[in-house]
Amino acid sequence: MAGVNIDDVYKRYGSVQVMHGVSIDIEDGEFVVLVGPSGCGKSTLLRMLAGLEPISDGTIKIGEKVVNEVLPKDRDIAMVFQSYALYPHKTVAQNIGFPLKMAKRPKAEIDEKVGRAAEILDLTKYLDRYPKALSGGQRQRVAMGRAIVRDPKVFLFDEPLSNLDAKLRVSMRMEIKELHQRLKTTIVYVTHDQIEAMTMADKIVVMRDGRVEQIGAPLDLYDNPQNVFVAGFIGSPSMNFVKGRIDGANGTRQFVSEGGLVLPLPAQASVAVGQEVIYGIRPEHISIGEGGVAMDVVVIEPTGSETQVFARSGTDLIDAVVKDRIAARPGEKIGFHIDLSRVHLFDGKTQQRL
Amino acid sequence: MQSNRLGWILLAPTLVILFFFGVVPFFYVLWLSFHQWNPFALDPAVVYNGADNFRALVFDNGFLASLGVTIAFVFFAVLTELIVGYLLAQAFMKEFPGKAVFRTIHTLPLIMAPIIVGSIWKLMTTPSIGIIPSLLASWFGFDLNIGTSAVAAFTVTVIMDVWHWTPLVTLTLIAALVSLPADPFEQAQIDGANKRQIFWHITLPMIAPALLATVFIRLMDALRTVDEVLMLTGGGPGSATRYLGVHIFKEVFPKTNYGYGSAVSIIVLYLTIVACWLLYVALIAPRNKKA
Repeated sequence: MAGVNIDDVYKRYGSVQVMHGVSIDIEDGEFVVLVGPSGCGKSTLLRMLAGLEPISDGTIKIGEKVVNEVLPKDRDIAMVFQSYALYPHKTVAQNIGFPLKMAKRPKAEIDEKVGRAAEILDLTKYLDRYPKALSGGQRQRVAMGRAIVRDPKVFLFDEPLSNLDAKLRVSMRMEIKELHQRLKTTIVYVTHDQIEAMTMADKIVVMRDGRVEQIGAPLDLYDNPQNVFVAGFIGSPSMNFVKGRIDGANGTRQFVSEGGLVLPLPAQASVAVGQEVIYGIRPEHISIGEGGVAMDVVVIEPTGSETQVFARSGTDLIDAVVKDRIAARPGEKIGFHIDLSRVHLFDGKTQQRL
Repeated sequence: MQSNRLGWILLAPTLVILFFFGVVPFFYVLWLSFHQWNPFALDPAVVYNGADNFRALVFDNGFLASLGVTIAFVFFAVLTELIVGYLLAQAFMKEFPGKAVFRTIHTLPLIMAPIIVGSIWKLMTTPSIGIIPSLLASWFGFDLNIGTSAVAAFTVTVIMDVWHWTPLVTLTLIAALVSLPADPFEQAQIDGANKRQIFWHITLPMIAPALLATVFIRLMDALRTVDEVLMLTGGGPGSATRYLGVHIFKEVFPKTNYGYGSAVSIIVLYLTIVACWLLYVALIAPRNKKA
């Protein structure tokens, strides 16, 4: 087991720079999730960690060792690919045992470790099968098995769940997290799914366009997003953003949107009258009741456990998620009560948190 | 039903041609192989003689010698073609200056008729006028004479076959290598495999179907090589390069021993099928069964 240290890493393809000085510190045993929209460089970064992609500048350390020039086979890492990358001509047992065989371990040891991994992953029945005779979830588990027999310093996961159906994804998510709790090996996990990131990570790294936007614990990112991008990316449904300016006189301040919607401000907000801001509030931090901000209901989406209400005022569309069932009908007026302690204000130009 | 009938109508010309030029001659040869027929012998009649032709084959030293050299020829030629073809295919997977030109030149032998290939190699290897013996003599003092040395003649026929058919192996293997997914190879690197291990454990098994198809094709072709060798050495010196195809040709045409020649042809066909079947059973069937 070992920590990973990524220090000021750049990646260029010819004259195109795709990674701009990424630095991430990963502690021994930590579960770190790299998350971001497609094309943000998270998979490239993972491949650079694995040694499959050379880095243009900077250093990557696994444990105490700089691995910039170290071949993948000598990095002591295990990786699970999105496609699972199983060897089609090998049985499940041969697939799982392959890294051990390459390390020239004795056959008895290989059999024992493969057997144990198969037991953990519930694959014992399938050891003699070929990958083509397995379901997606089983293949995924074989790929995991091949990673865990190694007892590597670091596990790398490249969107391992994105080819599974929604239900299986939820159960595999739990299994991976449980596995981490049991093995306590450092994991670097790439996903574009912020729910996976939130539910699994000790630490989330949000990336965009080859830059790190913010690093922090899941709830830290949820509570204190550093900018509009992180605020919008973390949390589901996504945070409401309303563009506008601070208006006020005689010590009372309020937010007025470009469309004329007036929203209350928290008392301690450090904003000046006239300042352009982006007002952010998560749907789950709005409650519905008498009074409050008057909105016109557009759509109501009940899911049973909660209800999502989309409402409009002028050109501004805001949605709220509430536990109660809502009787209102589209077109009716409804009152939004905003939890002022949960309001996020961002600079209108830099989009950074105020 | 409509589309079914249309299908048969469209297929009909091919089927007719196949029937007259494939099926009929095959059964004619099969029928002949059970007969004694030499139109220029004392008794030119076609006489049924049961399995006599086949019985004679087993004790025919000419045939057995021919079978021996053919097996050696096929083994060395096909093995060399596979190795050289694979190395060239791997080379063509990489980028290098002049790749397109080199690949085109490399493929040229494929479009040449065997008889032309035989002529070219005859011109190049004939003692006293050929460029190859001349260069070998002036550079290494080596006397290459395919007219007198059995080893030299055998080796030159193998090299000629390799020269002619390696491009086919290269092209098939390029196609196989290009279609391989990248992931298992990256995974193998991460799993700690070195280049040699990746070749034996990943590359080779994954291109095995294409490789075997190529071996089948080359095996069948090499077993019935006639024109190139006939042109180059005429089967000599002695019977050093009298491969089965050449043997059959010499039985059937100069000797007009039609019945016996047919029997040899049938045996060669049988041996080809057996060889392919053995390869299939040994290499492909186990994989399918387990899967």
